[in-house]
Amino acid sequence: MKIVIIGSGDVGFDLSTMLSREKHDVIVIDQDKNALVKASENNDILTLHGSGTSASDLLKAGVDKADLVISATNIDEINMVASMLSKRLGAKKVIARIRSEEFIAPGAPIVPSDVGIDSVINPELSVASEILQLVKRSAASDIVDLANRQMQVIGIRLDHDSPIIGIDIESYALQNKNIDFRVVAILRGGITLIPKGSDKFRANDHIFVIALNDSIKQIIRSTGISEQSIHNIMVAGGTSVGRKVVKMLLDFRQDWNVKLIEKDYDTSYKIASDYRRLLVLNGDPTDPSLLASEGIMDTDVFIAVTDDEESNIISCLMAKHLKVKKVIAMVSKSDYIPLSQTIGLDSSVNKKLAAANEIHRVVRGRNLLNTVALNGIDAEILEFKVDSRSKLVNKPVSKLMLPNGCVIGGIITNGLARIAVGNSVISDGDSVLLFCRSSIIDEVSSKFG
Amino acid sequence: MSTFQRSRSAGRPKIDFRLIAGILGAFTFFMGFALLIPIPVSIYFAEETVYSFAISSAFAFVLGGLIYFIFKPKDEIRPREAFFIVSVTWIVLSVFGSAPFLVSGVVDDFADAFFETISGLTTTGATIFGGVSHDNRINPNIEDLPKSIVFWRSILHWIGGMGFIVLSIAILPFLGLGTTNLLHSESSILESDKLTPRVQETAKLLWGVYLILTLAHFVLLWLHPKMDWFEAINHAMSTMATGGFSTKDSSILWFDSAYIDWVIILFMFLAGISFAMHFRLLRGETKLFLNNRETRFYSFIVVLASFLISTILIFQTDYTIPEVIRHGTFQALSIITTTGYVTNDYGAWPSLALIILIALFFTGGCAGSTSGGIKMFRHMILIRAVGREIRQSVHPKAVIPLRVGNVIVEPPMVRRILSFFMLYVLLFLGGAVILTWLGSDPVSALSASIASLGNIGPALGEFGPTNNYAGLSAVGKWALSLLMIIGRLELFTVLVLFSVPYWKE
Repeated sequence: MKIVIIGSGDVGFDLSTMLSREKHDVIVIDQDKNALVKASENNDILTLHGSGTSASDLLKAGVDKADLVISATNIDEINMVASMLSKRLGAKKVIARIRSEEFIAPGAPIVPSDVGIDSVINPELSVASEILQLVKRSAASDIVDLANRQMQVIGIRLDHDSPIIGIDIESYALQNKNIDFRVVAILRGGITLIPKGSDKFRANDHIFVIALNDSIKQIIRSTGISEQSIHNIMVAGGTSVGRKVVKMLLDFRQDWNVKLIEKDYDTSYKIASDYRRLLVLNGDPTDPSLLASEGIMDTDVFIAVTDDEESNIISCLMAKHLKVKKVIAMVSKSDYIPLSQTIGLDSSVNKKLAAANEIHRVVRGRNLLNTVALNGIDAEILEFKVDSRSKLVNKPVSKLMLPNGCVIGGIITNGLARIAVGNSVISDGDSVLLFCRSSIIDEVSSKFG
Repeated sequence: MSTFQRSRSAGRPKIDFRLIAGILGAFTFFMGFALLIPIPVSIYFAEETVYSFAISSAFAFVLGGLIYFIFKPKDEIRPREAFFIVSVTWIVLSVFGSAPFLVSGVVDDFADAFFETISGLTTTGATIFGGVSHDNRINPNIEDLPKSIVFWRSILHWIGGMGFIVLSIAILPFLGLGTTNLLHSESSILESDKLTPRVQETAKLLWGVYLILTLAHFVLLWLHPKMDWFEAINHAMSTMATGGFSTKDSSILWFDSAYIDWVIILFMFLAGISFAMHFRLLRGETKLFLNNRETRFYSFIVVLASFLISTILIFQTDYTIPEVIRHGTFQALSIITTTGYVTNDYGAWPSLALIILIALFFTGGCAGSTSGGIKMFRHMILIRAVGREIRQSVHPKAVIPLRVGNVIVEPPMVRRILSFFMLYVLLFLGGAVILTWLGSDPVSALSASIASLGNIGPALGEFGPTNNYAGLSAVGKWALSLLMIIGRLELFTVLVLFSVPYWKE
């Protein structure tokens, strides 16, 4: 695929890295020469010094022959103009990063398709939604919505005293016969396992389970973890993610008491003006005396989403040390992700991954409908469409010869989702949700494609 | 702005006195028209005062016109000049406005005439008529004055209520650039309440609403047999301006009618609300009117004060319950809106009722109304500022914007209001010190000072509801006149002229 990326900022840079590694032809346009140098040093891409809003620069980059143009600058208006121009010049597909929710709200006078945008990405919004999910299900470390929110994959960490330790997956399933679910992965000591029925749970395992939304609560209960009741939430960082998280938290529950810590006074004032019920504190989120005086001991959830990832980790560790029930950190540097899991952060969210997931939803094979990567685990969730030519049709799941490291989690028939069990049969036209080790994605794709 | 204009204004001095003189000339000329208004009344009642008004008017026309044509103001009025123009205009207008009193001979002392005029224009309603002055001159009773002079007092109220300069902006097309600066130096209307993009249109709308309400009030008063058309028109103008001049020495008490009291209560209440809100109400935007925070706060204070005073009067006086509610509400509203009408000698009320009334001396109506005083929006913001400060003590690091309703009040505005309040208290005390030094007792001095600064009128003690200001010495009258102008123009417009930075920087 020939892909033009406009803007080599944080999102643009990560996308160019990811897409070039996926063997696409990537051309990056930016006005900042240094950003281009950094991008081309690290990746096998072509760079062009120019403006995304200049038609001649776009033509130089070859948007007229591009399969995909991604406008990923920090400024919505530039992305919109660049998208409009690219579409006019003949780009096949245009994706724009739009941060303002006014453009995507219902009833907006201009919708993205009016300006030639086929798909909008908003990584900040995705991350914020993920954080809200994590707060709602305080026992879960990861939550991914699937099949139009009918199903979820949730990650749970097993404590030493969890009643299911030492039990194999098959017996665990028998114990909970009334619930449809499937254990799709176990992260054990940094290694991802796609488990078989005979595998046993061990202490400190990080297990991933797929289930219908209604059964999630029962599953969490069966692992021996109690859902905490949430009252006090503290958010560190008035970044765009922080602002979106705060808004979602305040809108979700009236009785949640939300505090936000922001270093910059003017930003603090602006946010405090926007949200009446929010208490905004102007200070350093890694300052223990500030955290203490603002009642970190009574805080149920601590969320660190500043732009400084190191400080996110530090402040979350500090909060954990001060007995906060759940801490969530925004960590996007790939080097830190395995670390954040071993040092005891409950959950981490990743802005880069959010952007990548959104792009992958658009850049995909013929029958691949969706892919979702999870933070810190070496496997992805894939959603395939199955047609009559496939060898998989009309066979029970247990008889399918799938490669090792791949498990079918759910089947969607006519928009209705169900959990795949041994004797489930896949019909023509169904979609299948697969949990699959990253290294065998190509092999699996060929089987379904 | 074109290059031509920029180069010309660059050559202007910091304070362009030629421009100021020209504009003052225009206003003086315009005052000539105002002085013509009572002439039909003098003719109707066949009074000799027709000549006094004609002479005063001609004087204003000639002098004002001459000055205007010498200086021909064309440049933009800048904020610095606006302060000066507005403050001095009010003094100049008072000088010309006092001419009919002096020329007709009903008053023979300039300090008295000036005091009466400024008290009219600032809608204070403190009068020197009906008493003996400190140097034993006998000022006639209001009921013995020529009708046209009584009418002139009401006209002064009515013009001063919405503002002479606002009226000029509405009517005179030649005032030109920078009139917004004039409007905001004279009117308490908030920037956010500017009804139209053009200041002249806004001024016209405000005066239009003012006129409609005054007419409605006139008709309702006239319906009562005790009021003839002349009394109805005078009281209508006086009420809508929240002035307080009456055609009777004993004020509204003379009529002793529940109907008249309640009609006046209604219109005093309306006059205390922003006229921008009335305009919206007339245009059918009822929701906006009802949801306005300041209007609601004002209504709450009115109801609360009336209820408290009435309750106290029920237990401690011999009045019947309907009488108590009527007098309690009337007097509370009269003070809150800074009108200063009297239906009952509140000076003789039980102390508990009186102390509530005294507290009301510090209230005032809404911004953009014709009332004076500190005004409700300042109180709301001051209360919130206190609440904010308390919350800040609990969370020292918190960033807490000050909100009134859903509106954020920016820190500069809060600072301005805090300084306004401080200054208000200082001026109030300063006035009281001067009056005490001149021989008044502290209660009279304190109450007269706040009654002048807040443009209320009647005070307590020797300046109480059954007395008047005739006996005050000339120095006292000048001091109170100054307080009235300072209060009417909301302190800063006048006081900035006494500051060093205004002249030096």
